[in-house]
Amino acid sequence: MAMHKLDVRGAKCPMPIVKAKKQLDLLVAGDVLEVTATDPGSVKDFQGWAKINQSAELKEQRTEKDETGREVYVHILEKRA
Amino acid sequence: MNIPYFDFIEDPEAALARVPRSQTEISVVCAKGGSSEFVADLLRESGIPARNVAGGMQAYGSFLEPVRVPNSHPEIWQINRRGKGCLSYVVRVGDEAMVVDPSRHIQTYVDFVKNLDAHITRILDTHVHADHVSGGPALASQLNAPYFATAGPGITMGQRVTPLKDGDSLSLGGHVDAMRVLATPGHTPGSMCYLIGGKYLLSGDTLFVNGIGRPDLGGEVEAWARTLFTTLTHRIAKLSNDVTVLPGHYSATSEIGPDGIVSVRLGDLKAKAPELRMSSEQEFVSTMVATAQHPPAAYSDIIRVNLGLAKTEEEQVTEWELGKNECAAARH
Repeated sequence: MAMHKLDVRGAKCPMPIVKAKKQLDLLVAGDVLEVTATDPGSVKDFQGWAKINQSAELKEQRTEKDETGREVYVHILEKRA
Repeated sequence: MNIPYFDFIEDPEAALARVPRSQTEISVVCAKGGSSEFVADLLRESGIPARNVAGGMQAYGSFLEPVRVPNSHPEIWQINRRGKGCLSYVVRVGDEAMVVDPSRHIQTYVDFVKNLDAHITRILDTHVHADHVSGGPALASQLNAPYFATAGPGITMGQRVTPLKDGDSLSLGGHVDAMRVLATPGHTPGSMCYLIGGKYLLSGDTLFVNGIGRPDLGGEVEAWARTLFTTLTHRIAKLSNDVTVLPGHYSATSEIGPDGIVSVRLGDLKAKAPELRMSSEQEFVSTMVATAQHPPAAYSDIIRVNLGLAKTEEEQVTEWELGKNECAAARH
């Protein structure tokens, strides 16, 4: 059960989800993927994607500031079996 | 049709199967143009003719198209913001121009008037808008020109405004009485209509091509409906039937006439709009109450900005202004 991080700061949609999906496909059940994005649209988009996504569950979302003081949106996904 | 872009990422075959096959090229649009480009590429790769609307709704929302009102004297241009159905105006006499109900994309107006070999001497709003942030104060500030607007009796606006009152007359480019002010409260307490050259009525949101502006945006639909009824029966009814109404919004491209303008002859509007033919205030008020709806969430934020009570940023305003306008009174 590994924890992976995906940094998509600076990427605009659709890239955050395109890259998250690519990463998820490489993980095994129980792995966790933490995605960090600067695109504010990613909040609703990850929620919408989680609804139709068979392979992962959206466990948590939070908004925080990164080390440069930028507002970032963190999405925690857990790969399903 | 609406298919979220992540449907195309998660299960491209299923998503593609939902797209109708036809000869017509499909325009793909999203908020900013990134996802739509991704989806348009996917459609084309699977043999469906498609093109991306570059810049998305954000760019489309700022596209302004000026159309000359044919045979208008003084010269009137209707500026059509197609992405929202908002209409603003440039009235020009000689080398002077005034701008009415400008959107926040003020450089477009400055450049347009410059290309007419004129300069903007006055900026006006017909009322405090709920659906878009006015470019009036910004234009006035940049050009050091007066900004005319009214929120209503007893309501002080936060920015610097020159108030107008019923019966005021403004000259333009040496043409005295180029514009006459009519106080027409109802849609908002401070709503005004501007009669240009005695023939063209810039009606803001009081009158539209197919009806009237909703009086339910202030949370006091009964009181505002009564005021609106008085306006319609005492002021609007007294105007000549041959006046051309130039409104502040339209809801469908069918409202654009063969001359490329959204307009209606006042006499024709009186004949077709049931709201303008009700003789009983009670019937009118009941109808307005029955068809009252909740305004879009962003409207109260936009109103605060237009009252000069709040400032905001580009990203926030863009999100508030996404989508069509909902200013007309509904009819069931």
